Amino acid sequence: MVAPPRFKDALEILAKHRVDLVVVGGVAAVLSGAPIATFDLDVVHARSQENLDRLAEALKDLEARYRDSGGRDLRPDTAGLAGDGHHLLLTRCGPLDVLGQIGNGRRYEDLLPDAVAISLGSATVRVLGLSALIRTKEEAGREKDLAVLGILRRTLLESGKK
Amino acid sequence: MDSNQAASAEAALSDDGDASLIRWMLSLTPEARLAVLQGFVDSAVELGNGRPA
Repeated sequence: MVAPPRFKDALEILAKHRVDLVVVGGVAAVLSGAPIATFDLDVVHARSQENLDRLAEALKDLEARYRDSGGRDLRPDTAGLAGDGHHLLLTRCGPLDVLGQIGNGRRYEDLLPDAVAISLGSATVRVLGLSALIRTKEEAGREKDLAVLGILRRTLLESGKK
Repeated sequence: MDSNQAASAEAALSDDGDASLIRWMLSLTPEARLAVLQGFVDSAVELGNGRPA
């Protein structure tokens, strides 16, 4: 059975394990004020060995396993998490996409200057700002990314009026 | 946002009523915005389970 998303709980567990990451995707858009819906949490993680170890522990805590159409019980490991790839996981706090890079090869270090720290309960998380989020979605160019660009641009415009 | 993006966004704002929803979301704290999303997801899950939210 797939656990339903519990975004704040997932972020608090990642923060508890001191995982260096930037929240991207739909949850980042919502945190920036965009009225959109999403069912998964997307993060781009730092790939230093220390952070990979912390991330692996956090994923163990989250009972993470790959979304495998064959139903196999495949668990993420530090070797795999060190690459550029996308790790599409199920956890006890819902779907979690752990991404080595987004857009035109933008890694954690590339995103960090455009991230803002946001407090959520007991956790403080880094979230990609709206301008950079729009840029990465334009770069990705997938149908699902392009579909939300209009509302992200409008949210950016409105946030500038505040 | 460059001038072209701003112009297209301005045009879009005048085309529909999304602006008021965006302004309402922007009036909330980030934690409250996440709670709005969580509420939507919870409702969708409940509906999928055949129970009222």
